[in-house]
Amino acid sequence: MVKRSPYEETIDGMKLAIRQLSLRLQQFTLGVDLDIQHPRTAIFGPSGAGKTSLLEIIAGLRKPESAKISFNGQLFDDSGRNYSLPVRLRKLGYVPQYDSLFPHLSVQRNLLYGSNRKPKDHTLNFHHVIDFLEIGHLLDRHVHSLSRGENQRVVIARALLSVPQLLLLDEPLTSLDAKLKNAILQQLQALHREFAIPLLFVTHDPAEAIAICEEALLLQAGRITARGNPAELLG
Amino acid sequence: MRISVLILTAVLAGCTVNGAEVNVYAAASLTDVMKEIASAYEKESGDKISFNFGASSLLARQIIERAPADMFLSADEAKMDQLEQAGLIATETRRDLLSNLLVIVVPSDSKLVIASPEELVSKSQKIAVADPRAVPAGIYTKEYLTRLGLWQKLESKIVPTENVRAALAAAESGNVDAGFVYQTDASISSKVRVAFTVAVEQGPPIRYPVALIKEAKEKSAAAKFLAYLQSASARKTFERYGFIVKF
Amino acid sequence: MMSFSPLEWQIVRFTLAVCAFSTLLILPVGLATAWLLDRYHWPGKLLVETIVTLPLVLPPVATGLVLLKLFGRRGPIGYFLSQHFDVDVVFTWRAVVLATAVMSFPLLVRSARVGFQGVDQRLEQIARTLGASDVRVFFTITLPLASRGITAGIVLAFARAVGEFGATIIVAGNIPGRTTTLSLEIFSAVQLGHDATAYRLLIVCVVVAFSAVWLSEVLMKRRSMG
Repeated sequence: MVKRSPYEETIDGMKLAIRQLSLRLQQFTLGVDLDIQHPRTAIFGPSGAGKTSLLEIIAGLRKPESAKISFNGQLFDDSGRNYSLPVRLRKLGYVPQYDSLFPHLSVQRNLLYGSNRKPKDHTLNFHHVIDFLEIGHLLDRHVHSLSRGENQRVVIARALLSVPQLLLLDEPLTSLDAKLKNAILQQLQALHREFAIPLLFVTHDPAEAIAICEEALLLQAGRITARGNPAELLG
Repeated sequence: MRISVLILTAVLAGCTVNGAEVNVYAAASLTDVMKEIASAYEKESGDKISFNFGASSLLARQIIERAPADMFLSADEAKMDQLEQAGLIATETRRDLLSNLLVIVVPSDSKLVIASPEELVSKSQKIAVADPRAVPAGIYTKEYLTRLGLWQKLESKIVPTENVRAALAAAESGNVDAGFVYQTDASISSKVRVAFTVAVEQGPPIRYPVALIKEAKEKSAAAKFLAYLQSASARKTFERYGFIVKF
Repeated sequence: MMSFSPLEWQIVRFTLAVCAFSTLLILPVGLATAWLLDRYHWPGKLLVETIVTLPLVLPPVATGLVLLKLFGRRGPIGYFLSQHFDVDVVFTWRAVVLATAVMSFPLLVRSARVGFQGVDQRLEQIARTLGASDVRVFFTITLPLASRGITAGIVLAFARAVGEFGATIIVAGNIPGRTTTLSLEIFSAVQLGHDATAYRLLIVCVVVAFSAVWLSEVLMKRRSMG
């Protein structure tokens, strides 16, 4: 049962249409042409397969040579008409592989960067996200004092607090120990139930894909070679 | 073969057989006239005259710091007195060589017309004067304007320059409305015109003393040149430039 | 020997005021220039870089001469200003601001540019995913992260302005009470043999330079502590 989210603006639907996406990478050409419809979809593949590039293109952080991309009916890219929706208007949450917290801001200011709220306005949503990801005790800490696990939770929280319509996660659990991985994995599993935000989850670990997602796309050397239920595909 | 001829010519041009090099430190206002007199002298005597032109105050300071001068030509007596008190000049060689007149110049395309310095108060905003704290031309100007009771009124308009030629240049450039220079400076410039001449009786007594430096390297050559400066042909040149000759 | 006359105080105040003003003046243009030079390429970029560096490399008096020709009453800019705005630049305090601004500009740009170079542009991208406009990204991410280089640039520019002599004396002259700065007054004092004055003012220069460097160190330490 999908819990009714306190976010009124949240869209539960995932309709990501990617047509004729093409980008030449070092070893091969990334070429994708499909629809993504499951609200928890994994992009699975070996390293170097083009997963990060694909995610960056969807986020608008990288320009494809050609593509026609739309999400829930909104046009993101149409290279034929030379159109590309600016990053800031796409309302996507992006959790990259690298360290992406702003080092000059405190944890709290980082969290509030994407939400248009001043630190004093502690609304239910802010507390909800903080509690859910168990980072309430970190608010006044400096970014460089956080452990990798704490760091990742704050990044995810920051993305959530910007009320995205889609959450893009690029291997968020790498370099975490097993115990921590499990803890955050559970939170990510619950994330969709809790906040009703669809997610696109990039990973090279089958266990993560199976734990979180309903559908997995197998990306190999720039091409989707298979798609289906993660357990069947990767188990 | 041609290269060695070139080298030989260069070497010969560089050294005058038996010629001495006399270092003359002279006030900036004497730049053009002294260069002409010196070049005539060099042909006659075979000696070379090297000049250091500048504000007399600056030159005096350099000589006090033991700069290698053989002769000093100052635009006022105070600077020469300074050196005499410091025991740096051969006092028996000191004499008054020249005098000059102060004039007010304006850029040649300026429409400014003044009948007296008083009119500068209302008709000008910037007046170039060689630094009145130290440079003779500026000291003379201040003395003159003070005597007329105009110094207080004009002081805020004064743009001090490093020497009298710099004041002339400022007037030439049009960046000031007027400048106080010597008559002899005005006469060599086509970019300014004289708007007012300070009559001899009304102006401060302007004296250009000359003397040989006691520790001069080229004492006899310098003495020879000093004698030449008081000759009839030198006199003609000085007068042609507008200087008043005192010997 | 250490008591300052009112005139000397006036010179110190004037110098600090003029230099602070000229540094503030070049700040927006300097930062914009540094940012453009770091982030973009365009035909003629090399020309812009060369012009910006010129005052650093030319003898200061040569730069002063160029300014004199441009801003003198008969120069292209000076004539325009005097005809249309009745404003005189040469031999006024404005010329001091002009000279110090021009001479310190390249230092600000160079340092700020290094500051901008060091900013991880991926963080700017992340800020955009969080909905920030380009302007907001610049002021909340780029500038703060470049602040070490920018602060260093401001300090260097200010110090250079205080020490400015060659261009200033050409285009502003050395007019007591109106354009005489600290460096110009030390020069005059030396020329006139007033050594005590020269030493007193020298000490002021040392104090100013020391304070500027100390302040920049403090500011930069605070930054790195988040």
